[in-house]
Amino acid sequence: MDGPAIRTEALSKRYGSVDALCDLSLEVSAGEVVGFLGPNGAGKTTTIRLLLGLARPTAGRAEIFGLDVARRTVEAHRRVAYVPGEANLWPSLTGAETLHLLGRVHGRIDAAYRDTLIDRFALDPSKKIRTYSKGNRQKVLLIAALMARADLLLLDEPTSGLDPLMEQAFRDSVREAREGGQAVFLSSHILSEVEALCDRVAILRSGRLVEYGTLESLRHLSALTVEILFDTAPPDLSAVPGAAHVVVDGYRVRLQISGPIEPLIQALAGSGVRELLSREPSLEELFLAHYGPGIGAAAPADLQNVAPMPSASRS
Amino acid sequence: MTYSGIAAEPRHLTVVARRPGAVVGRQAARRAVRSGAMWGVVFALFVIVQTHAYTATYPTQAARNQLLSAYGTNLGLNALLGRAGAINTVAGFVAWRFLGILGVFGVLWGLLTSTRLMRGEEDAGRYELLQTGATTRRRAAAQSLAGLGAGLCALFVVTALGVVVTGRGGSVGFAVGQSLYFAVTLVSGAAVFLAVGAFSSQLAATRRQAATLGGVAFAVCFAVRMVADSDASLRWMVWLSPLGWIEQSRPLTDPDPLALLPVLVLISALLAGTLYLAGIRDVGAATLPSRDSSRPRLALLSGPFGLAARLIRPVAAGWLLGVAAYAALLGSVAESSVHDSTGSSAVQQGLGRLGGHGSEVRAYLGLTFLLVALLAALIAAGQITAIREEEGSGRLESLIVRPVSRIRWLVERLALAALVVTAAGIVSGLGVWAGSAGQRGAPGLGPLLAAGLNTVPPALVLLGVGACAFAAWPRHAAAAVYGYLAWSFLIEFTGAIVRTNHWLMDTSVFFHMLPAPATGVNWTGAAMLTGLGLLSGLCGAVLLNRRDLYGD
Repeated sequence: MDGPAIRTEALSKRYGSVDALCDLSLEVSAGEVVGFLGPNGAGKTTTIRLLLGLARPTAGRAEIFGLDVARRTVEAHRRVAYVPGEANLWPSLTGAETLHLLGRVHGRIDAAYRDTLIDRFALDPSKKIRTYSKGNRQKVLLIAALMARADLLLLDEPTSGLDPLMEQAFRDSVREAREGGQAVFLSSHILSEVEALCDRVAILRSGRLVEYGTLESLRHLSALTVEILFDTAPPDLSAVPGAAHVVVDGYRVRLQISGPIEPLIQALAGSGVRELLSREPSLEELFLAHYGPGIGAAAPADLQNVAPMPSASRS
Repeated sequence: MTYSGIAAEPRHLTVVARRPGAVVGRQAARRAVRSGAMWGVVFALFVIVQTHAYTATYPTQAARNQLLSAYGTNLGLNALLGRAGAINTVAGFVAWRFLGILGVFGVLWGLLTSTRLMRGEEDAGRYELLQTGATTRRRAAAQSLAGLGAGLCALFVVTALGVVVTGRGGSVGFAVGQSLYFAVTLVSGAAVFLAVGAFSSQLAATRRQAATLGGVAFAVCFAVRMVADSDASLRWMVWLSPLGWIEQSRPLTDPDPLALLPVLVLISALLAGTLYLAGIRDVGAATLPSRDSSRPRLALLSGPFGLAARLIRPVAAGWLLGVAAYAALLGSVAESSVHDSTGSSAVQQGLGRLGGHGSEVRAYLGLTFLLVALLAALIAAGQITAIREEEGSGRLESLIVRPVSRIRWLVERLALAALVVTAAGIVSGLGVWAGSAGQRGAPGLGPLLAAGLNTVPPALVLLGVGACAFAAWPRHAAAAVYGYLAWSFLIEFTGAIVRTNHWLMDTSVFFHMLPAPATGVNWTGAAMLTGLGLLSGLCGAVLLNRRDLYGD
């Protein structure tokens, strides 16, 4: 029996008086990569634990390839590989022993691909788990999941602890999985990772699904954070269409701009702009902008210079 | 538009800790005090109940003298619990019984608490986080030791309260000073092994290794003390063991506080060594050499059962060696232990609950195997703790997110534990046989193997009960299983000497075990106990399949 890689119907989980997940209904097709986004405590991990049968739903149901997870857990697990956000492994085993064990438990692996992954992720499998860094332990779990060539990969913040090079190796591996027809359900806080890999994105907030669609359909959520340094007193930009949360700090102005940036560029013409920095908002800012109380406190730490103005020089 | 000044606003910092360097100590103290106070309550209750039971059961001096003639010369009991020289007085009985039993509980508490709060915290990475505060490695270790000291104080205060309350009873009559001195000796073993655990935490690479090192130290100390108490010609050996020093302090009967001086010296040396090693080693590293890499050994790693077998192999080997050595030692003194009391009707009366009808050697061995049953039950309880640790640490998830059912996992895990327990029963029979071979009245290999196997069913019941507790209250599984074991142990040992309500006796996992080889093995009863254990284990597996998984 085959069905969608994942199908949930009104899936709900309550812990005491707290609704960790409410009426989640979504479907993930075979061969599709879906990003699962949300702030801490939104219910992402709860959802994945329900999909794996590690937790029992308070209401609703979850299916993996048409198999009811609550009733046919082992059959469902034959088609799933999972990477948790925290790598808890047996400290006295080596990396090679752990991979061997997890492969035997799963029942089938692609040994050649395992060796490729070990090289790709630069893992020394002769070391004991207790000597690995967090990132290296995460690599063991990633390799164990990927080498199984499972029909569905459930990844719960799988790149936490990985360096940028390994992040790239992870993206290559997910692309390979998609090309091989595997479905991937990727829970992540890293918006760029989700944007680079996912066909569709689901956004969860306070246990409820607030958005689910392709990236294109979610573009309307995005707003840019723009920071401008002027040579002279800055003009009033609060009337620019799409501008919000305008903060003036001497000759420096910071604002959020939704929609096209062209009206802002026009408003800045002839205003003595020395420097213009912009960046996409973080995931948290997106939530705050569209579902929360404002983003005036956004930190400018990782601004990128994406549009150097003519005659402007960076200091 | 919103305008803000160019200068950054001044930061207002609030003092939240006057001595931030003491955070490590406070963390350790909070947990140690809670644990120490809890065990103090157990100690105090044990003292109150057992002392009352003694005075009620042996109200006359004649009855107490009879008790002395039954047990005072029993070398097996002397070896196990220390010299029972004056148990015909309340003071003598209290000192002998409680130092022998609670002293060992205190040692286990000290060892497990210090390795948990020192090496265990380091393993979990929490210690490293605290070390980044306003402290140094050595100062943080000192803080941890201070926290452990607070836990020891809690154990002492609550225990002392119980002893003082007991001592004020009309039929007891201990002075407050006597009671306090006795409480000091009661917790001295705990103090020594708190320090041993702290020191081994600096040597070992993991908490398990640290606890094993401390366990070996305890086994050596206990064995030396046992030998010293078994044979008058070897009495000098009592000064080679810290447990012997504590015994020599002779609280309540013939106090010799100077005997505690070496205890203080040893503790000081261990604490100094702990601080020295903490200062010179890296956080998270071991002082003893440890292998960080190795060639893969894949023989057992074919599934959850093989994995569990590999993980418990060192612990199981340690237990089996310990049980075999213990059984051989008690077997070797079987004949001499009953020699002094041969012909005493009090022996048969005292062991009456055991129901033995054979020779005194067989009756003595019946008691020996009762203690083997306790060890087997301890193995079972330890396995329940290990099972819960697999879940609590999150490692279980790595297995059961693959095609492994929870029922299969737990059943296999329990089966492995049952195998270890059964092996312990067999090696105990072999050990007693090897120790007692050639002695007059000693049974042959067959009856002793049967007696060893007879100790297994109570452990299987405990395993089953523990599995149910694990499935129903995972975070309290260890407390439940050790609590039930402690209850059974206290009930059994209380009932063996003083009269106890039959319904209470029924609740002990040991009560339905016949004392082979003093009697034959009741195979039907053993099969029923085994069946009860299996059924409880299956219930646990089914319950586990119906609940969420929980981390620590």
